[in-house]
Amino acid sequence: MSKIKEPEVGTSGSSVESQITALAQSKPEGISNEDIQSNLLNVTAETWTKSVNKLLKSGLLELFKVNNKLLYKYKDPSKKTVNKGSDNEEKVVYRIIEEAGNKGIWIRDIRFKSNLNMTQLNKVLKSLEAKKAIKAVKSVSASKKKVYMLYDLEPDSSVTGGAWYQDQDFESEFVDVLNQQCQRFLVQKQEEAQKLWGGPLIARNRSYVSAKDVHKFISELGISKVALNVQDIESILYTVVLDNNAERIVSPSGEFLYRAIKSFLPSPGLVKSTCGICPISHRCADSGFVNAKVCTYLTDWLNE
Amino acid sequence: MSSQYGKVISFILLERFGEIVEKVGSCLFHYGSSPLLYIKKYTNLPLSQVKEALCILIKYNLVTFVPNKNENIANYSLKCENIFLMLRYPKYIILIKKKFEDEGEVILEEVLLSGFSSASEIIFKSFNRLKEMENKTISEVQLRDVFMALVTAQYLMRIYIPEGNKAVPQLEISEKDKFIFPSIEAIEVKNLIEKNIPLKQESYWTINFDRFHQDLRDKLIISAITKKIDENAGELMKTFLEQMYIRTTAWADTSNPIPIQEVKNVIKKKNSLHVLSAFLDQYINVMEQDYCKMIRKFGEAGGGSYQIYLKDIIIHLVWETIEQIVLEKFDSKAARIFRLIRLKSYIEPEQIQQLAMIPAKEAKRLCYQLLEENFIKVQELRKSSSNSGPTKSFIFFNIQIAQVVRMVLELCYKSLYNVMTRRLSEKNVNKRIIDKKQRVDTIMLGMKVQGATEEQLADIEEMITPPEKELLGKIGKTMKKLNLVELELDDTVFLLELFLRYTYNQILNFINM
Repeated sequence: MSKIKEPEVGTSGSSVESQITALAQSKPEGISNEDIQSNLLNVTAETWTKSVNKLLKSGLLELFKVNNKLLYKYKDPSKKTVNKGSDNEEKVVYRIIEEAGNKGIWIRDIRFKSNLNMTQLNKVLKSLEAKKAIKAVKSVSASKKKVYMLYDLEPDSSVTGGAWYQDQDFESEFVDVLNQQCQRFLVQKQEEAQKLWGGPLIARNRSYVSAKDVHKFISELGISKVALNVQDIESILYTVVLDNNAERIVSPSGEFLYRAIKSFLPSPGLVKSTCGICPISHRCADSGFVNAKVCTYLTDWLNE
Repeated sequence: MSSQYGKVISFILLERFGEIVEKVGSCLFHYGSSPLLYIKKYTNLPLSQVKEALCILIKYNLVTFVPNKNENIANYSLKCENIFLMLRYPKYIILIKKKFEDEGEVILEEVLLSGFSSASEIIFKSFNRLKEMENKTISEVQLRDVFMALVTAQYLMRIYIPEGNKAVPQLEISEKDKFIFPSIEAIEVKNLIEKNIPLKQESYWTINFDRFHQDLRDKLIISAITKKIDENAGELMKTFLEQMYIRTTAWADTSNPIPIQEVKNVIKKKNSLHVLSAFLDQYINVMEQDYCKMIRKFGEAGGGSYQIYLKDIIIHLVWETIEQIVLEKFDSKAARIFRLIRLKSYIEPEQIQQLAMIPAKEAKRLCYQLLEENFIKVQELRKSSSNSGPTKSFIFFNIQIAQVVRMVLELCYKSLYNVMTRRLSEKNVNKRIIDKKQRVDTIMLGMKVQGATEEQLADIEEMITPPEKELLGKIGKTMKKLNLVELELDDTVFLLELFLRYTYNQILNFINM
């Protein structure tokens, strides 16, 4: 994008302009009229206002109003230059999209903020897209919702869903495989600890592993095409905890430790008969088509 | 009390006592407490039959009565809990057999068969039955001791003998009088068995269900800990429970503090527990730090003392059972969601998708499936600002465990009823062949007594053709399977009822008078 020629700041010969830009660059929160006045003592107000106006027009400075005071802020020309030759609508829309950062912004919100009508906005967006100034990204949270963001930005993980998404689809199989592998690792650790023995407490403490260890194990396995970070593994391990296959404690150093556990009870008697897991048990009665005497589920189970 | 429960109850009565008693029983279930003539009217049975049925039910402690306003008439009401417990009789017998061997088993069977009985009768009948058993020599004194042991351990308790001449006697017995020890001399027992002279001090005994449930509960807890940690931890828990009874009532939510020194001494005395004895402190530590916090430190005095949190253990076990039911019913993803909701108490659907790592669509489907089957509930929280559109309120999922337990209990009753119905229908469908088998068996037995030759016996045995034999084998297998699942279903019911008992402090299904 920086291919486009930079605005001629220095070459215009106006040292006043370069002085003002330098001043504005040094103060990212913005400069006021007074600041300019006090820094450019030997320049008349008429001259520097002219320069400021010129800078504003070229887009190197931006005008803000804070507490009823006018502030000028410096704006990076490399981001700005794309709008050269575009009309005001495009500038406005571009700015709104720029503000949204890498989270992106929904078209409806752009409409509200810019006060443009739908057809006009669509036109503007299309032209910006054609210029490769912005891009549309499909959000994972709602498949039909498109969000716009600047062309060169990497979408936020809340938009793409992070490592678990590929083209807006949640890769549940990938998650399942990781879940199983993590659990396998925990169980392995626990068995090793049991073998070493040395008392139940020591064996138990040995079987705790941190997410970092699991991360290393998973990375070495090489089952993942995408690079996973420790945070990703942490969330996978949490699903193992939720499956009641592991427990999680907080170590003294503040990180989570995981350990494979067994359940207290074998599966309850209720689910050993077919009725406990019958999907139509609420329709079952003494009379009617669904009844215990002729139930096919029961028959199949009895013939097993 | 639901209609499903009523169905199970009437089925049990039908199977064990026949049609008339069942009719009276279900009438009492439907109409609640009623006087004799009402029962006659509702059931359309002759008075004598109603009376007889009531007598049977009272004898087995399945019906109780209180005086009406008019003190000459009694109101009868059904003790459904006790009827339901009939399904659990096999478990009681196994429990006693393990502790008191054959003598205990026979005595308990006698009491269960007769509802209640006098000491003389129990001992007399048991002795005769034991005598018939093969390779069994039994002395009168031994039998008496077992009987006494059962009383001491409170497996048996006295029943009230009505006194005075009120038209409707009240059957009440105070806690203190229940377990007064009978004095039975050895010579009396000898006289009883040889000359059938009743004991001098006659006392009447019945079964104390509560004591059995206490044992079953302990067994459940110990096996759970054995499964989760290891056998030594199970043994430790057993010792803890034994020590608990010295100073705490059996059904307290938490035990009184148990000094660790005492536990140590007991374990040292048991020679088989070397590993446990060596790593005792570590085991206590492991148990204390377990997720469900079964034992907790009370104080440091005397080397430290611990409390057992029985109520918390049971609650934890019930949660796990429900989770497993969800797992089997809706598969592992749903169980993951269920557990997540449990951990977070209140949680929004979006969070569920993120934390459980389940695709949005599937997570939604599972959530609403769980909701439909009443395992989870929805709490809506209105946003104050907007009152239109799809985002007008927050939606939170949560679990009301007590409601879920009751719902699952209903499901258990329904399954039980279905299993029993199926068993009956299988029997009816194959009635002809079962009858034939029985007839052949009786003939064989008769012939054997008359001294028939092998050939003759084989001839008769051939009356049952091979395909029939195959069918019989299949029926036998079916019956076995259904009976087994019935017992296992009752395990679930037992645990869920324990939960209700602990959480509501209600004397549910454990009423003993």
